[in-house]
Amino acid sequence: MPPTRVLTPSTRDELVEALAQATPRTRLVAGGTDLVRELHRPGEAPDLLIDLTGVSGLATIRLDDGSLHIGALSTFTGLQEDPLVRRHALCLSLAAAQVGSVQIRNAGTLGGNVANASPCADGATALMALDADVVTVDGAGEERRRPLREVLLGPGRTALRHDEAIIEYPLPALSADHRSVFAKVGSRTAVSVARLNAALVVRLDATTGVLAEVRVALGAVGGTAFRVPELERELEGRAVDQGSAQLFADGCMAAVQASIPGRYSLPYKQHAAVGLAYDAWNMLALGPVCEPAWA
Amino acid sequence: MTDDLRYVGGSYPVHDVTEKVTGELVYGSDFSVPGMLHAKLVLSPIPHGYVTHIDASRAEALPGVVKVFSHENAPMDGFSRARIHPGQDMSFYDETLFSRHVRFVGDRVAAVVATSRETAAAAAALVEVEYEELPAMLTVDAALAPDAVPIHEDGNLLFEHEIDKGRRPDLEGAVLVSSATSTPRIHHAALEPHVCIAQGHSTGGMTVWTTSQGVYAARTVIAELLRLDYHRVRVIKLPMGGSFGGKTEYIIEPVCAFLALATRRPVKLLLDREECMIATMVRPATSTSIRTACTPDGELLDFEAVSTLDSGGFAASTPDYSIHMCKKVTKLYRVPHYRHAGRAVYTNTPVGGAARGWGAPEMAAATEIHMDRMAARLRLDPVELRLKNMVEPHDIDLVTDLPLGDARVSECLRRGALAFDWAARRARPAGRGRLRRGVGVAAGAHKNGMYGAFPEASRMSLKMNEDGTFQLNASLHDVGCGVVTTMKVIVAEVLGVSPDLIAAGEADTATTPFDYGTYGSRVTYVVGECARRVAEKVKGRLLAAAADLLREPAEHLVAADGAVRVRGATERAIAYRDIARLSEMRHVPSIAASMTYYAVSNPASYSVQFAEVEVDCATGLVAVTDFLAVADVGRAINRGMVEAQYQGAVQMGIGYALYEHLDVDEHGRAGVDGFKNYHIVNAPDMPDVKVLLVEHEGDDGPFGAKSVGEVATVPTAAAVVNAVNHALATELSDLPLTPERIIAALRGEEVPPCSSC
Amino acid sequence: MQLVLTVNGTTYEVEARPTARLLDVLRDQLGLTGTKEGCAEGECGACTVIVDGRAVNSCVMLAVQARGKEILTVEGLARDGELDVLQRKFVEYGAVQCGFCTPGMLMSAKALLMRDPTPSEQDIRIALAGNLCRCTGYTAIVAAVKAASGQESTPQMALPGVPGELAAAAVTDPATLAVACETVESEAGRPLGAPCTPVDGGPTPAGEGSTTSGARSVSEGGE
Repeated sequence: MPPTRVLTPSTRDELVEALAQATPRTRLVAGGTDLVRELHRPGEAPDLLIDLTGVSGLATIRLDDGSLHIGALSTFTGLQEDPLVRRHALCLSLAAAQVGSVQIRNAGTLGGNVANASPCADGATALMALDADVVTVDGAGEERRRPLREVLLGPGRTALRHDEAIIEYPLPALSADHRSVFAKVGSRTAVSVARLNAALVVRLDATTGVLAEVRVALGAVGGTAFRVPELERELEGRAVDQGSAQLFADGCMAAVQASIPGRYSLPYKQHAAVGLAYDAWNMLALGPVCEPAWA
Repeated sequence: MTDDLRYVGGSYPVHDVTEKVTGELVYGSDFSVPGMLHAKLVLSPIPHGYVTHIDASRAEALPGVVKVFSHENAPMDGFSRARIHPGQDMSFYDETLFSRHVRFVGDRVAAVVATSRETAAAAAALVEVEYEELPAMLTVDAALAPDAVPIHEDGNLLFEHEIDKGRRPDLEGAVLVSSATSTPRIHHAALEPHVCIAQGHSTGGMTVWTTSQGVYAARTVIAELLRLDYHRVRVIKLPMGGSFGGKTEYIIEPVCAFLALATRRPVKLLLDREECMIATMVRPATSTSIRTACTPDGELLDFEAVSTLDSGGFAASTPDYSIHMCKKVTKLYRVPHYRHAGRAVYTNTPVGGAARGWGAPEMAAATEIHMDRMAARLRLDPVELRLKNMVEPHDIDLVTDLPLGDARVSECLRRGALAFDWAARRARPAGRGRLRRGVGVAAGAHKNGMYGAFPEASRMSLKMNEDGTFQLNASLHDVGCGVVTTMKVIVAEVLGVSPDLIAAGEADTATTPFDYGTYGSRVTYVVGECARRVAEKVKGRLLAAAADLLREPAEHLVAADGAVRVRGATERAIAYRDIARLSEMRHVPSIAASMTYYAVSNPASYSVQFAEVEVDCATGLVAVTDFLAVADVGRAINRGMVEAQYQGAVQMGIGYALYEHLDVDEHGRAGVDGFKNYHIVNAPDMPDVKVLLVEHEGDDGPFGAKSVGEVATVPTAAAVVNAVNHALATELSDLPLTPERIIAALRGEEVPPCSSC
Repeated sequence: MQLVLTVNGTTYEVEARPTARLLDVLRDQLGLTGTKEGCAEGECGACTVIVDGRAVNSCVMLAVQARGKEILTVEGLARDGELDVLQRKFVEYGAVQCGFCTPGMLMSAKALLMRDPTPSEQDIRIALAGNLCRCTGYTAIVAAVKAASGQESTPQMALPGVPGELAAAAVTDPATLAVACETVESEAGRPLGAPCTPVDGGPTPAGEGSTTSGARSVSEGGE
């Protein structure tokens, strides 16, 4: 078996040329925090590695006509610090801040987070709540834009072909009227894969003060992060009060239950979902701090 | 308490601190010799069965592969990885270099030797092994069931014993309390993986470089197994990145030595993290049930315990371990009658054996959780209950009949309770909100060396160089705990020179005298006392030489600050350097001495620890918000290091209580393979551990010092568990207290077994 | 594959396998074994190096991805034989036991201080969250990093003594030396040379330092 080749494209055109050489045994490397670990283990070596980190422009974050475009090579640290992300997609910034350690955040990218398709990916949950699309380019130079839910198919599975690379995530930029938050339950305070995560985006009606827009995404339960449209509809039109908080928590709990029926971790995750929901709700800071009754 | 010590009691960095902060220090995993080959193990993927066929042809066809070894081309004599010296009892020779009868997932089946690490790893994946599977006994119960398949010839009950001491008094009106505690398998998690390098010599001997806690026993095991004379086997200790008992036993040294001899090349065997977790050793899982009888006001009348240890696929040291578990309670508490039955059982799981505390943390978890249960039943404060029953200085240990020495544990408890503001914190209601706080206390004891159970002696020699510096020749094994510095400080104190003027290397069977290693909590107490005595001998020679030179009686002279001085006129001084140079010109005995010190006692060291926790009832996560460790250390030789050891020991204990567990699934496979899924406490979750030292300088250690490194982690987990139970009004006793278990307990649901967490 | 890497200010040309990790090139090819391998999965932090000012795990970074970047390893902290302030504080605060996590800790701390010169304790713990230690319980390490940022608490330990200085610290007074010399000389039946040269007089043979004391400077003593 010939040794693995590596290509280091530095422009988009070079990237396309590299992708054109990809086979099903080819792997794309961004931050490397998932892939390089795998490479080091026994198993079939890839025929080709395409290093994405040198391609100019892939880490750019820009605002364009109400749309926030996040380059796939943005690192978690970059997302944590970038002023545009903080202003227009705060839940993504908050999610990025809770991925792994400083070292992982400095290297790991949003592109890798989705391509790796871990069910527990924090970035994916935030992107889901932000209605993000995924833009890819392939070895023929063609770009495709799809909603995230069409790309993330299941644990470790995406719709990406072997010659497709994610290049950016466009999403409707949140306005000053939006609030977005992210919360996570791990196995410990820091440096933990999520056992449960949630991203919440809301907008209040300027006149009535009720919830005009609600987007709820949950992750680490079920195969991929997912939205909870029934819950979103139930909450829209309601005031920001204890009753709504309770509804939100119950809805999260029900969604968790539906996502992993019969799974061993269900009782724990259902219980933890309540706390997670209240944490997320209170982080919105739009109304009084709400509390459930605890066991 | 003597206060006129110049060096003892100060704080010193580890002896090789500069090389460590610059990255220069060559650890075992950094070490190489010219022409070195690399080895990679092939491990069993099944928990129980026989190797029926090995096809190494594809592996050996890979360029760079030298050879593949297995039971087919390696000696199959049995050995015990836990052997310390020849003729030792309780050595079960149940392990071979490679297994034909595989007994756990991770058992060694073969090894590839190749010119590079990558090649060896690639080749290992190409070795084809066929197995005939046998039913796997993955739990102690399964292994002891009537239809269980024997894992070793003599059946799965590896070892059992019972002690019964004292007399049971009349139990009329006594309050009976029961408890059952389980502790999990733990990965030692030393940051440096296991490594060994070996090289055969054309003269027929070999050199082995290893990160081991005891080189002489490594030599014993290797020489016996490979049928070499001891004088031809040289074992050298390399700097190591931690051990905590995981590198005490001889797991990879025999394999590496064999590979070097068989290939006639130097071979390095370096394990990866997953291999360290499953293919070396684990702290054995235990379960202990306790039944006590006590008076209504809490005085212990009767204490009965039954402990079971999961030995995993090989015996290793679990028989000895299980005996030691029976020796813990009576170091701590007075009780008229104590009965303890212990047993170790083979299962088809990773091998359990040496771990920091040697059964004490396991038993302390059970005992101290039980004491809190007693306290609750009797409505007594946990500190009060313990004080009522605690040993006092110079009590005799009911089980060993040995004096406990200057046992200051009750003082630790009293002073600690005050310093921790125990009464107020304990009285504060935890409430029924989301975050609930609680406090817990636990006491622990450990020994000081192996006197009473094992021939216990240390040997070393000390000499003065021609420039007035000194050289200590001892088989020291620094596992990161500052052993070398401790010896230097002790010698420095006696000789009256700065510790920086004393050189002390580590163990090398060719050049340093026979000694056991850094284990058994013997180093400060026994090895340290040997150092003190050999230094006294050298001081005597120094004074004699000076007396002769100065034509003064030796009694008029004192050695201090690098010179011999006349008492009462200390400006009349002759520097050691000058004594050395002048003595060089005379036919006088050199200023050097050897010493064999036979230990004379084995007192207990103690620690009492207090934990405050905050439990998040939504997530089940527990934050340790405050922690105090009180240490009965006799005397701190290196104060800063004693505190530092305590802080690290508490990190281990918190992990034991809350996070760490290495379980196997129904296929015998560990659910963990690295630090991503095996969590040890990281910086954000670690409290600032306060350490309070109690120093009464009793007993026979150097300057009154007692052991620290193991006892420091003994009561930690129990203190944390007791705190959680206080916060939640629960009676959790299965470690670790994972979030699932905490939530289940809060909801009144059945607490899940750990293997599914 | 040919690779050009700049490590600790020096540029190297190395021949590396395409799948080589930065850790492998640093350790095996550049001989910089200060960066350690503890887990090979980016969890323990023992392999932490600084790349373009950011702390990363070199065990999950391909060497080829480090091309054209400034890499700083633990070997690059000390300058001209002088320890970096972080290294000094790790010594003084007793933050080193087995030392295997130390290089990684130093690099994470260095990267933190490069961006935030006065971090809080919480900031430090978060910055070190990806650096595992089994020996110290982190307390001394956090104190050392704070001290390096100018927020000292109580250093406990001293840096090891400078070689050569200590041995010369003890002095022999001239009168006592004279007595000792007389003992030896009368035994030997002849005068001794250098070891007995009095302080204020008599040549000191070239190549030998003085064994006398007092007026002579201390630095002459060690040999």
